[in-house]
Amino acid sequence: MNVLVISAHPAPESLCHTLQESVVKVLNQAGHTLRHHDLYLEQFDPVFTSFERLNHTGPAEVKLQQFPELRPYVENLQWCEALVLVYPTWWSGQPAILKGWFDRILMSGVAWVLPEGAARISPALTNVRKLVVVTTHGSSKLVNAIEGEGGKRTAFRSVRLMFHPRARSTWLAFYGVDHSSENARTRFIRRVERKIVRALG
Amino acid sequence: MGQSMNALVVYCHPVEGSFCSAMRDAAIRGLQHAGHNVSVIDLAAESFSPVMPANELQTYIAMDEEVPAPMQRHVRELRRAEILVFVYPTWWSGLPAQLKGWLERVMLPGVAFRLSPNQKVRPALTHMRHIVVISTFGSPWLYVKAVNDNGRRILTRALKLSTSLRTSTSSVGLYAMDKATSDDRSAFLARIEKKMARI
Repeated sequence: MNVLVISAHPAPESLCHTLQESVVKVLNQAGHTLRHHDLYLEQFDPVFTSFERLNHTGPAEVKLQQFPELRPYVENLQWCEALVLVYPTWWSGQPAILKGWFDRILMSGVAWVLPEGAARISPALTNVRKLVVVTTHGSSKLVNAIEGEGGKRTAFRSVRLMFHPRARSTWLAFYGVDHSSENARTRFIRRVERKIVRALG
Repeated sequence: MGQSMNALVVYCHPVEGSFCSAMRDAAIRGLQHAGHNVSVIDLAAESFSPVMPANELQTYIAMDEEVPAPMQRHVRELRRAEILVFVYPTWWSGLPAQLKGWLERVMLPGVAFRLSPNQKVRPALTHMRHIVVISTFGSPWLYVKAVNDNGRRILTRALKLSTSLRTSTSSVGLYAMDKATSDDRSAFLARIEKKMARI
């Protein structure tokens, strides 16, 4: 399967970084074809510009000519059958660099189209049949439930609607990193390795 | 007229002259009408970088209550404010990245929360009296409630945990904004102004 991995953590010594390496390793071993963007490493600029706002419903090409650095992300997103997101949950959502990747890359003509006269948008990324989120939370599951799990809802209820209508989603989340033991973190890494292979199997 | 308070409006939209900027102005008018002192942080105009740099994250994780230099002005504004107002468009069911990153870089240990001696997270924005969320949504109300409400959730639930039990939160939204007529829009602006004037 063609798999696109998008990761977003600034620190190489972080748990998220270890997770992203594990994910890439096991998926390669399982025989998938991988492409990987590390948004921090690539210094992705997540700020949606006035140009993009003013050309919001226009063709993708207009925006890609203005911002050629966005093109590889678009092409890889159109190429993949599975999208894997690896990130730390901050303030109950995706880090800004990844939220801005949604804002900028899920553009008209790529993620969705608004046909002439239609009342609502139609999904355009029907090539994507699996969505896997691997994420870590500093706080407990209870606190995140109170906060409303906004990040999970953004990924699974909002972004996923642009994918294949029967796209499967898988949530691999670690809660309470701030108070976790080395042992618990290692167990989580192993669990992610097992589950992600199965999810994309 | 009630007691005069300091209000901070955090505004995020890339296009000046957009409907969102009219929403911001309506909020400012209402607050001033009620006699509050208003300051505004315009993230797009400041070209605010929302990407949490590795060194700031390190300070954060170490729970150092030191505010990194680039954030000091915003933190000062936040600490002065008793009314915190957010004005932004909802994109992909959430906050625009620039506003999401503002929370990440400004809501720091010692600013938004601190650890108690037994390592529990305790609120530090207890001086905040009101949090008000003003946003536009592409989708209709019911759809927003089911799917597209995650920006507001961050501000009225996650951020609420950093404030006092007495801090009020409220929100107003213009739903299905692509279909809104100019009458709907003017009515919405009037509603914002009236709501803010009542604080």
